[in-house]
Amino acid sequence: MVRLITHNLLACHVKGCTTNNFPLVFQDAQVEIHEAEFNEDFIRGFMPKIEWKALVDSARQLGDTSLPEEQPEMADDDFLKTLHHVLLEMHIEEGAMVCQNCGHVYPISNGIPNMLLAEHEIG
Amino acid sequence: MPSDTSKAVIPIQVIDEPQAHEKRHVHEVYDQIASHFSSTRYKPWPVVANFLQSIPTGWVGLDSGTGNGKYLPLPANRSGETWTIGLDRSQNLLRIAMNANYGDTNCIREVVLGDAIETCWRVSAFDYAISIATIHHFSTKERRERAVQSLLQTLSPSHGRALIYVWAIEQDALSKRSIPISEQSSPGHGEDVFVPWVLSKQQDKSASDSAPERRVHHRYYHMFEKGELRDLICGAAHGMGLTVGSPREGLGPVADGMRQKIRGLEIVEDSWERSNYYIELRLWEVEAPDS
Repeated sequence: MVRLITHNLLACHVKGCTTNNFPLVFQDAQVEIHEAEFNEDFIRGFMPKIEWKALVDSARQLGDTSLPEEQPEMADDDFLKTLHHVLLEMHIEEGAMVCQNCGHVYPISNGIPNMLLAEHEIG
Repeated sequence: MPSDTSKAVIPIQVIDEPQAHEKRHVHEVYDQIASHFSSTRYKPWPVVANFLQSIPTGWVGLDSGTGNGKYLPLPANRSGETWTIGLDRSQNLLRIAMNANYGDTNCIREVVLGDAIETCWRVSAFDYAISIATIHHFSTKERRERAVQSLLQTLSPSHGRALIYVWAIEQDALSKRSIPISEQSSPGHGEDVFVPWVLSKQQDKSASDSAPERRVHHRYYHMFEKGELRDLICGAAHGMGLTVGSPREGLGPVADGMRQKIRGLEIVEDSWERSNYYIELRLWEVEAPDS
């Protein structure tokens, strides 16, 4: 599965592609929503590690505009539940992720992103 | 001697180009034996389960070489407090890993098709990582060292923790395997072998009617000897400019009173268990005081 929790950690790794290689941009993404159990402590603990702008922009590419531009300093219950939904309940089943820098396309098929490179692309 | 000679471990020398060798004798084999292999790999090893139990709430980790994903649902009694993302080279194993369950939790796992020697993550993305029975499938020392470095690069330099397991030449008395030592082998360098996997026609979902009753698939392993995993990890750490030792060793004299961050790797456990060597490590970062 690729959800935004994973997408927020993935980066392009083509040989020599070291700047502007994150976040990958979604292309032709088919999204399915699957409910996941809400764990407030996990979301609170993970929050400081999120690349916020990347998460907001990527969620918007997928049609979800529920997150604010800036990460709020005080996280209330409603906000944490919104964040939970964006990170863990939106599943990208098909489509691709494209590097903004080098244009490499990482396909997503049956919910599995393919991050393998051809031999000449490996650093 | 094993009674069935088709299951005997065979010493080999890797003569092919390493990537081609791994493709043929690791990646293709696992894709073919995936479902049978997975049905024999359901019990988590206690040391790995304890490591995952010790991970603080809110941490995100990587299972590099997740196979059938049996560690992804752990710790079962703290479901959802931590998240482990599984990476593997075998698409067929990942299809199984996606639905890895433990007990009655029915949750979809995060899995990524990728190679453990590459770093498809932003730097320092993870708080913890496990590499269980994976690094021994790389066919040169240089590639095994790069795989360790890829794992270390994905970890937080200030608090990242990792557990690495590899197969040992020194096998458990209960193990069915015995590892023959070839005449060409040199001390300190382990042993390259094929470990056969016998797949009967019934177990092989891709077998056609005319297929033979059973097929033997040879999986490549580099069997580690005592001290070799430690040397590999220390070599990988030095190559990345990390100090090996406890954080105290980062507090040496500082030239010109310059404040600088010193990064290091501490080995917190180095053991053998049931035919495997394993090392638990943690990364640290200290700011050297003004002199």
